[in-house]
Amino acid sequence: MRFFSVNDFLFILAATRWTILLSLLAFALGGLLGVLVAVLRIARFAPVRLAAAGYIQLFQGTPLLMQLFLIYYGLSLFGWRLDAWTAVTIAYTIYAAAFLGDIWRGCIQAIPKEQWEAGRALAIPYLPQLFLIILPQAIRIAIPPTVGFMVQLVKATAVASIIGFVELTRAGQLMTNATFQPMVVYPIVAGLYFALCWPLSVWSQRLETQMQVENASGRRK
Amino acid sequence: MQVTVRHLAAACAALFAVAIGSQAADAQALDRILKDKKIRITAEVTSPPFGILDKDNKPTGSEVETARQLAKDLGVELELVQVTGPQRIPALLSDRADLAISSLSITTDRAKTVWFSSPHGALSIVIGGGKNVNIKSAADLAGKKIGMTRATLEEQVVPKVAPPGTNIVFFDEHSATQQALLSGQVDAIGGAAFLLNELGKRNPDKGIETKFTVVTAFYGIAVKPGNFDLLQWVNTWVFVNKQNGVLAKIYKEHTGVDLVDLPNL
Amino acid sequence: MTYVFQFGIVFDQLPLLLEGALLTIRLAATAMVFGLAVAVMCAYLRTSGPKPVRVLVAAYVEGIRNTPFLVQLYIIYFSLPALGIRFEANQAAVVAMVVSFGAYATEIVRAGVQSVPVGQVEVGLALGLKRFQIYRLIVLFPALKVVFPALASQFILLLLGSSVVSAISANELTAVANSLQSTTFRAFEVYIVATVMYLTIAVAFRGFFAALYWIVFVRGRER
Repeated sequence: MRFFSVNDFLFILAATRWTILLSLLAFALGGLLGVLVAVLRIARFAPVRLAAAGYIQLFQGTPLLMQLFLIYYGLSLFGWRLDAWTAVTIAYTIYAAAFLGDIWRGCIQAIPKEQWEAGRALAIPYLPQLFLIILPQAIRIAIPPTVGFMVQLVKATAVASIIGFVELTRAGQLMTNATFQPMVVYPIVAGLYFALCWPLSVWSQRLETQMQVENASGRRK
Repeated sequence: MQVTVRHLAAACAALFAVAIGSQAADAQALDRILKDKKIRITAEVTSPPFGILDKDNKPTGSEVETARQLAKDLGVELELVQVTGPQRIPALLSDRADLAISSLSITTDRAKTVWFSSPHGALSIVIGGGKNVNIKSAADLAGKKIGMTRATLEEQVVPKVAPPGTNIVFFDEHSATQQALLSGQVDAIGGAAFLLNELGKRNPDKGIETKFTVVTAFYGIAVKPGNFDLLQWVNTWVFVNKQNGVLAKIYKEHTGVDLVDLPNL
Repeated sequence: MTYVFQFGIVFDQLPLLLEGALLTIRLAATAMVFGLAVAVMCAYLRTSGPKPVRVLVAAYVEGIRNTPFLVQLYIIYFSLPALGIRFEANQAAVVAMVVSFGAYATEIVRAGVQSVPVGQVEVGLALGLKRFQIYRLIVLFPALKVVFPALASQFILLLLGSSVVSAISANELTAVANSLQSTTFRAFEVYIVATVMYLTIAVAFRGFFAALYWIVFVRGRER
């Protein structure tokens, strides 16, 4: 039996970068897809709106672990030969897009009708209205909940350990296996997640407070 | 023409259809491996002595070294695809790996979904636990909590010999099963004899010992059904390395035990 | 070789899957009841308790909300035995879920409590009620009404999050699906059926909570 050594701690620390990488990739790609989902969700064409709503309901209403299993095992049935990173990134992207799309849809809908009407009065077509007038304002409102979701995303990457994907939690499992000291290893793993997530949480709360202060003072730029 | 949301939606649908429709043309497996100069082989890292992490936290073990030898003899680069126990076969079937060399015992059930090579090793499944747990035979399992990993030979055979009243719990991963035994969450576990010996050696204070043997089995290399050419090459490789003693050497080095005579499939 | 879908194999085992679904529901419901109790208590302590207690509750809430549920689960099941606290798998699952839900719900209930107009509290003080009586009799009901949708959403998250307890061998729908998958090797079919079951349960609970809201907070209060 090995006692938990500096080497093992470094192994866990090194795996943290995979957690960070996966979170960033899922956030970036999921963000792009999420914009699309949000825009489609408020489309005037009903089937498109319903499809987007269905997508959001589906991925918010099913366990992430199931989504992982399905994408991990299922995509190959379409003839794709995917490695672990690609499959996991796709799964988390789809997951993130559903939540971000929903959050951002809410922010877009929070922009008062008058803004849309002003655009129409200036004969600006729909898409430029959306991208030039509405979205810039919606982005401001969207920042606090988006940062809040980033915390959820980092925590969610832990589930990938169940399919053997090597990130922070899996590294903890492997080190526990090598050293048989779960009392030391898992709290360290928890601590590392806390170090990643807490700053984001604090930032999100601060942004939200700032926003409330600005709204309360009547300024709405 | 103004770009409307309708256009955006149609573009998305088209992209999606193209993505779904593109199937990777399945070249003959062996040819593809030789052309790419790379073979992907499954590797467990929590299944001593077949697959473990060495003190530098790199994969090793009897099956991992067998994989290295095979890749070397084929003249291609080896990519180890880390999997958990229940993923060994799914990784093969979903084309994430070309070969499964992870102590997959040859059973007729598994043969319905994968193709086995002639066996290249043997193991026995035992029940093992701490020395204060009183189990001498299958009958003593009643009333005890026995842990094991899913999608393993023990998952198949132990429930058949366990009497009613045995509480069998399943884990998704070898490390969880081992942890459960060491932290006392289960009274005993089912697993390969080598594994129990390793656990016993690594934790002398817990006094883990083998209680009784459930079954012995041969394990082989698995390929995805349809890859005739790859299977043929693997079988030839197993034959050659049986004769020249390389398989026996790797086996003895990691298990400490002499390799028995291996029959042909 | 193209893949042939074989849902028949999965449908044969439907009773087993339904049993797993019932276990999942029971697990989540139990955790919610106890978790809500924890939350109500902690929300009170967080707003009206002495400073050290308030800090303690804040630390609990932030600690849980910034670490993954799976890691909390592993600590409860694998690490605690080293301290002599041993939970069986299903118990550990409930404990972890209560601890987790309790933390999120504490924040939600606290927000609700802080939204109750100060005037109401002052009435209570004027009537000579003690702090906890004010909390229990005046503040709690309106607070819960305001945050009910948020609590319902959190429950759905709890329900869906419960699928990872299969990793410590606790018994519920995902564990049954894993078992089925490892014996039939029909991973895709098994997981699709399980996913549809989770979706159905989630939708059913949303409807249930909508009905509950109406019964408790709307109709019940009409005089």
